[in-house]
Amino acid sequence: MSKTHVTTTINGEPAEFLCEPHMTLLDALRDELRLTGSKEGCGSGDCGACSVIVDGRLVCSCLVLAVEAEGTTITTIEGIADGDELHPLQRKFLEHAALQCGFCTPGLLVAAKALLDANPNPTETEARYWLAGNLCRCTGYDKIIRAVMDAAAEIRERQAA
Amino acid sequence: MTHQGIGASVPRKEDDRYLRGKGEFVADIRLAGMRELAFVRSPLAHARIRAIRKNSDAVFTMDDLGGVAPMVAISGLPGFRVSEQPVLATGKVRHVGEPIAACLADSRAEAEDLAAAVEVDFEELTAVVDMLRARDPDQPLVHEHWPDNAFLDTFVDGDIDTARAAASVVVKRRLRTARQCMSPMEGRGVVAVWDRRLEQLLVYTATQMPHIVRNGLAECLGLDQGRIRVVAPDVGGGFGYKGILLAEEVVACWLARRLGHPVRWIEDRREQLTGNANCREHHYDLTAYADAEGHLLALDCNAVVDAGAYSIYPFSACLEAAQVASILPGPYVMQAYRCRTYSACTNKPPILPYRGVARAGVCFAMETVMDAIAHETGIEPHEVRLRNLVPAEAMPFDNITAKHFDSGDYPECLRRVVDAIDVPAVRARQKAETGPVRTGLGVSIFCEQAAHGTSVYAGWGIPMVPGFEQATARLTPDGGLELRVGIQSHGQGLETTLAQIAHSRLGVPLDKIMVVHGDTATTPYSTGTWGSRCAVMAGGAVGRACDELAGRIALIGAHLLQVSPDMVRVGGGVVSAEARSVSIEEVGRTWYRRPQDLPDTVPPGGLEITAGYKPVRDSGTFSYAAHAVVVSVDTDTGEVRILNYAIVEDGGVLLNPMIVDGQVIGGVAQGVGTALYEEMPYDPNGQPLASTLADYMLPGATEVPDAWIGHMETTSPYSMFGQKGIGEGGAIGPPAAIANAINDALRPFGIAMTDLPITPHRILAALLAAKGDAQ
Repeated sequence: MSKTHVTTTINGEPAEFLCEPHMTLLDALRDELRLTGSKEGCGSGDCGACSVIVDGRLVCSCLVLAVEAEGTTITTIEGIADGDELHPLQRKFLEHAALQCGFCTPGLLVAAKALLDANPNPTETEARYWLAGNLCRCTGYDKIIRAVMDAAAEIRERQAA
Repeated sequence: MTHQGIGASVPRKEDDRYLRGKGEFVADIRLAGMRELAFVRSPLAHARIRAIRKNSDAVFTMDDLGGVAPMVAISGLPGFRVSEQPVLATGKVRHVGEPIAACLADSRAEAEDLAAAVEVDFEELTAVVDMLRARDPDQPLVHEHWPDNAFLDTFVDGDIDTARAAASVVVKRRLRTARQCMSPMEGRGVVAVWDRRLEQLLVYTATQMPHIVRNGLAECLGLDQGRIRVVAPDVGGGFGYKGILLAEEVVACWLARRLGHPVRWIEDRREQLTGNANCREHHYDLTAYADAEGHLLALDCNAVVDAGAYSIYPFSACLEAAQVASILPGPYVMQAYRCRTYSACTNKPPILPYRGVARAGVCFAMETVMDAIAHETGIEPHEVRLRNLVPAEAMPFDNITAKHFDSGDYPECLRRVVDAIDVPAVRARQKAETGPVRTGLGVSIFCEQAAHGTSVYAGWGIPMVPGFEQATARLTPDGGLELRVGIQSHGQGLETTLAQIAHSRLGVPLDKIMVVHGDTATTPYSTGTWGSRCAVMAGGAVGRACDELAGRIALIGAHLLQVSPDMVRVGGGVVSAEARSVSIEEVGRTWYRRPQDLPDTVPPGGLEITAGYKPVRDSGTFSYAAHAVVVSVDTDTGEVRILNYAIVEDGGVLLNPMIVDGQVIGGVAQGVGTALYEEMPYDPNGQPLASTLADYMLPGATEVPDAWIGHMETTSPYSMFGQKGIGEGGAIGPPAAIANAINDALRPFGIAMTDLPITPHRILAALLAAKGDAQ
């Protein structure tokens, strides 16, 4: 089967890969580009462990075909931090111990970033509903919500300053 | 330096890699030449295999796997029937999803295509699906050489008759808990490599117990243990699901050795839900006898657990039901107790112990009974409990099944949680309610045996008995500390808490302490991470190893200070003698890099110690907790909302309170799932009816409450620092508390929910049935 050449921008850098027509974006990220931070938790769009941002939109990369990434701009967990410096969401997750096994954490961070990009001042209810598509089996979500609300406040303060 | 030792809520050392997406889980491992494995799995629950037709050399059946022994998990309990679980089915399949053939290809998709092309001729047999009918004479036998479909009967006898005669209140309940899937976010997975240089099998596997997996692989493959190295890399949650030897692990290892290239199998969610191990599914028939003041006189129970088709390695099929019999009395005092259980053998996947093991079901059963007594006597539910809990002054207390409760104040725990939710306000609100939405209040209290050891597990007679837990502590040449432990940390934060213990003992800064775990080649033997045992057992072992290492450090430090060894003390990162001190770093540098500065009389063992630890008494620590919840139930839709949730728990001395809170809340989320959402239903043919996470409902951020946690810290007299295991407790209390709250809300309608999970469908069905009865 002939492969398709895909050109895209991932975490601010130009990226290209070859993929078969049936390959998912998740498998392309993990297998072709070795960006294994995005996880497969279900393969059916139910758990959110594979969340990435494509052209500003939060998606489950297990439900997106890799060929659909042509010409898009993608953010994955590997692009959230600014080099060594953690993103405020990552720092607040650390301070609150908002992660345990760490498997769902990349998807939750990407989803939370998409929330704060779209709505820098969410209510707790809005945060809970936005993150309802990201399952976590360890934390009970409480500390995750605290971390997201704290990070939102910090980002707002930074932008106001 | 800020406080970093025992009791400090320091951030977790392991988190940076996860936050950056740089954790390395099994599915993240890529090796040159690695091929992918997919399995032909049984589409039927019970059938004879007449023939298997394959048209590729890359498909393997049991006939190809010469010399591979079946997985066998015995129990020493009298009457236990042994099942043999072949790694690929031979002759018969006994549950949907059972592996029949293994297919290898360059990609998983191609391997699945190979699997789809394999033809299997089945002679379908009637499936044994209902555990309550499993022993009926008309039921076929799952294992044909057995007399009936039961792994084990247990019987705890007691004099119920005397209590029955004295009782003025008798309550009966018939209760059921659903079959569940533990559902860690990462499934199982294995990468197996045959290392030609070492002639050793290197196995990366998502497990909670690498050393036990090595035992099992050696037994099944007929390999010396020295020829097997098991590594558990980052593991994405366990909850019991990763505490089992898998057929898939054995097959992948056999293929990797035979074919000489790495072999990978990554479980997908569908395989997990429809074919691999389940948990729970209990049935209880309970009769309780009490006096008019609500004092529990006796409890009589018949319980059945659906253990599925095989006894799993290493926990066996007996653990769950036998545990029901031994822990049902919970934290209560009673005069008489009788309990008969059996572990039914059915055509479903085997069960294994899920977080809390039998306790979530048992707590639901016991606490439903306590509410029933409260209702019959007209006494507030928490007040009835206060009259029956083991009083603080009786501790330590040997209960009616000889469980030795080590410490605590159960009544005070319950009082505090009740205070946290304002019972009078809830009662006032209930009185005013007339519409379809009703408020309910529920409480539960339980204790959790943790870190129980040799004497307890020797009694079970299963393939795994924990002995001394060991840890290795090594001072490095630059004054850092390496700790090596045979357990595996997969969310518990043990890379942090074990370092905190070492810091408390030696004063080495946390960022210079490295915790190595999950690798049979580099760590001492351990039965692994299960039973809420690591804080007590691995924590104690690290403490002991650090103390012995401190003795060695002291001798070298004393020489450097030119004082007698009995004049020095080690702590805070230094060896000191009155006003003078030398750093531990300097001690390390001297031993390794400048040995010419030391006399030959220093201990030649150097600055590396492996020490073993058992608690003073190995019957376990008993943490405990009380949960209180207020719910609303919409009787038009069946929707349940959690309005308020409070917990008071006693985990003894908390190593890291922030991590403990996370364990508790995380457990509550799973308990909410057990109470309201999670169910793996089977149809009458033994077909699983949930195959995605859209069918098997896990609670999300909108379902789990923002719970309040209060702590008591009663020191355990038996553990090294007074700590108690609390890893499972959060998941034990919620089903009971939530069910009691729902039933409190539904009481005006004359119904009581008896089956978990309490779904809107079940509530509406019960309401409709009650209406029908009324008409």
